[in-house]
Amino acid sequence: MTFVLPIGPQHPALKEPEHFRVEVKGEEVVDVDVRLGYVHRGIERELARRSFARGLFLSQRVCGICTTHHGLCYCQAVEQLAGVEVPERAEYARTIMAELERIQSHLLWTGVAAHEIGFDTLFMLLWRDRELVMDLRELISGNRVHPSMETLGGVRWDIRPEHELKVERSLKKLEAEVKRYIDLFTSDRTILARCEGVGVLRRQDALELCAVGPTARGSGVPFDVRRDDPYAAYGELEFEVVTEEGQDVLARALVRLREIMESIEIIREAIEAMPKGALRARFPPEVPDGEAVARVEAPRGELLYYVMARGGDKPERVRIRTPTYANLASLKPMLVGSTIADVPIVLASIDPCFSCTDRITVVDVETGASKVVSKLELRRRTS
Amino acid sequence: MRAEEILELLRDYIVEAKSVGERRIFATTDAAKYRQALRALKDRGFVHLSTITGVDLGDRMEVIYHVDCGGIVLNLKLPLPRESPSLRTVTDIFPGAVLYERDLMEMLGVRVEYHPDPRRLFLPDDWPANKYPLRKEE
Amino acid sequence: MNSLDFLFAYFVFPGLLFAGVVGLLLGGIDRKLTGRMQNRVGPPIWQEFLDVGKLFSKEDITPSAAQGLIFTAAPLVALGSIVAIFLLLPVNSPRPALSSVADLIVIIYLLNIPAICAMLGGYSSACPFGVVGSGRYIAQLLGYELVFILAVLAAALRVGSLSVADVVAYQAGKGWLALQPRLLPAAVAAILAAQGKVLRVPFDIPEAETEIVHGPLTEYSGPKLALFRIAYDIEVFAVAALIVALFFGGPVAHTLDGIYVPGVVSFLIKCFALVLLTTCVRNICARLRIDQALKFFWTFAALLAFISLVSVL
Repeated sequence: MTFVLPIGPQHPALKEPEHFRVEVKGEEVVDVDVRLGYVHRGIERELARRSFARGLFLSQRVCGICTTHHGLCYCQAVEQLAGVEVPERAEYARTIMAELERIQSHLLWTGVAAHEIGFDTLFMLLWRDRELVMDLRELISGNRVHPSMETLGGVRWDIRPEHELKVERSLKKLEAEVKRYIDLFTSDRTILARCEGVGVLRRQDALELCAVGPTARGSGVPFDVRRDDPYAAYGELEFEVVTEEGQDVLARALVRLREIMESIEIIREAIEAMPKGALRARFPPEVPDGEAVARVEAPRGELLYYVMARGGDKPERVRIRTPTYANLASLKPMLVGSTIADVPIVLASIDPCFSCTDRITVVDVETGASKVVSKLELRRRTS
Repeated sequence: MRAEEILELLRDYIVEAKSVGERRIFATTDAAKYRQALRALKDRGFVHLSTITGVDLGDRMEVIYHVDCGGIVLNLKLPLPRESPSLRTVTDIFPGAVLYERDLMEMLGVRVEYHPDPRRLFLPDDWPANKYPLRKEE
Repeated sequence: MNSLDFLFAYFVFPGLLFAGVVGLLLGGIDRKLTGRMQNRVGPPIWQEFLDVGKLFSKEDITPSAAQGLIFTAAPLVALGSIVAIFLLLPVNSPRPALSSVADLIVIIYLLNIPAICAMLGGYSSACPFGVVGSGRYIAQLLGYELVFILAVLAAALRVGSLSVADVVAYQAGKGWLALQPRLLPAAVAAILAAQGKVLRVPFDIPEAETEIVHGPLTEYSGPKLALFRIAYDIEVFAVAALIVALFFGGPVAHTLDGIYVPGVVSFLIKCFALVLLTTCVRNICARLRIDQALKFFWTFAALLAFISLVSVL
């Protein structure tokens, strides 16, 4: 079956940030190729042209959903270079903000996934609950989306006792709701029909292709930077690394939902254990030469920043490796053998950071005809 | 495994090394031995290559393989001459390197030989052929 | 029936005006209820009227690559046919405005015309979304229509007649067919098929989410889209009306405390309940894949209808 789907002037595909070329034989996917670059903004080069302090704001804007993790990772790398030790209270505050971000990111993802499989009610309810977290972020930092709490040397604001009360109240509500969502995902027939056994990534492939985050953990690979290479206050907190053995879309969804529960516990622990003290350490005006590597466990997986300083007030080189980048190679084994109908939800299951308007080319290997389909179109056509 | 043990493992393949803190190692290798170093790591069970970074240092290029060794980040640096820098792919050792090497090729102009799929990754199709965005301008 | 009566029946009651107003109102109530179920406020219940009115005020565009004649005729024929059904359905009394001997067959046929028009619209629109959406629509139709016909056949066999009026009259004496154990499976199957017929989740496979343009109707805009919208809303009403007539007694006049309540009231209440059911179902399910939907219709739903059919033979 060939698909005659050109990109027209009004095609949403024109704004898409990535392009997957899917080869099909009839309904079955035979091969996948990824083409990136649509939102390539040259950030690595830009960071080398900005001072370390200004670079923080740019790094926070690499992504709107995992902004805190980008900022945090950047700060950690530069703090390593400068030999600055962040005060303990700030480390705990950073941890709390990072976990709040994880919760809202996972809720966002689950809502999007529900929307992908046509379950709009679930999407609305999930995003309603996400508002609880957004309100907390606004309460603490003044911003819903870019809290920008972290700064070189510490954090900018304090988490005050009155915040703690509100945080606990919201966490209680979230806990109850997420428990229901976990039940739903494990029992609802239509969800299971669309997610179980779909987009399988074998453990071996996840390891070979260096997958990260819930994508890897859904295939039984217990890799979590918070546990393996602790940063902020994670070294002092007790938590589980959530893995699933299902290896499919459902497993990755359950990893994320269960991680929300873990994050709730981590926040509670962190609030309990948070010591009094300074919020930030003095940051020297000059950063000495050297190189540093910082890693954090962003909601989507391992995020790595490599920063090299070589004189001056600007970095010589900043290298950012985002978790989605690491997971793209894993899409191929997930998609090969699937049907076209499953492509949207499988793509969504790695929680790509450019979810709205992906573009897919479908190539029929028999006729060689190739057409371009937007993800929106694919979703519609394949549901 | 601790940092000292990793350095011991790689003793024959690296020229110099430096530990920073407990969980960061910066080691330099050379074109003859880098693959053996990576192979030794993989055989030891360190299968996670976090990423590959390319840096234009002015007088030379540097390709850094960042390997996760059970929580320790080993940064294996491979210096390359600035004129026509080239090296061999490591996708046979770390299949997950496939995209990072493409990135290296298009951003810094490092030729990666035997790469299974040496196409552009991020740059638009009509980007001029010999311009490498992360190279320093003369 | 003379031509004046016919015109009145077709355009006013129970035709275009009545069916249109009720259909659009039911559509609005669906959206409001959906909003509430999703923890939102939802639009007011007359939103469909506002939307359709707005669409009529827009420019009428036909894509230049489209086959203009079919593209323009499709919404007109769709609306025309779905309104015609109401002439054949019992709305106020057991006897429809127009009746003939085997009108159940005509009704089933007419009920499919809007779907076929949508498909033709999609194919003629020279739009890739349309082509693919139409293809999916055909596949889905093969699924639910079989079930629907079997269920209707079971009811007809029970009564021994292919005339809707007879089925309603039968139920006036013997009670609702849905309450008879032999026909309950058919009633359930008919409702399941109805969810597919009106393209509601889990069976909204041929068309997309409402924020983006939908499958076969992608290239439609302005007045033509308005016509399709009205036709769709009336179709929901018509499907409910048919099931109500066949399984739930149809319009029944009552006298409460000496006040005469015409049959159309009980008819509307029953239709409303059925439409509410489809709304609830569509809000608590995810969308199935086309192969899963077909499997569902051809195994589970068809089995139910078949059981009834066999047990009334």
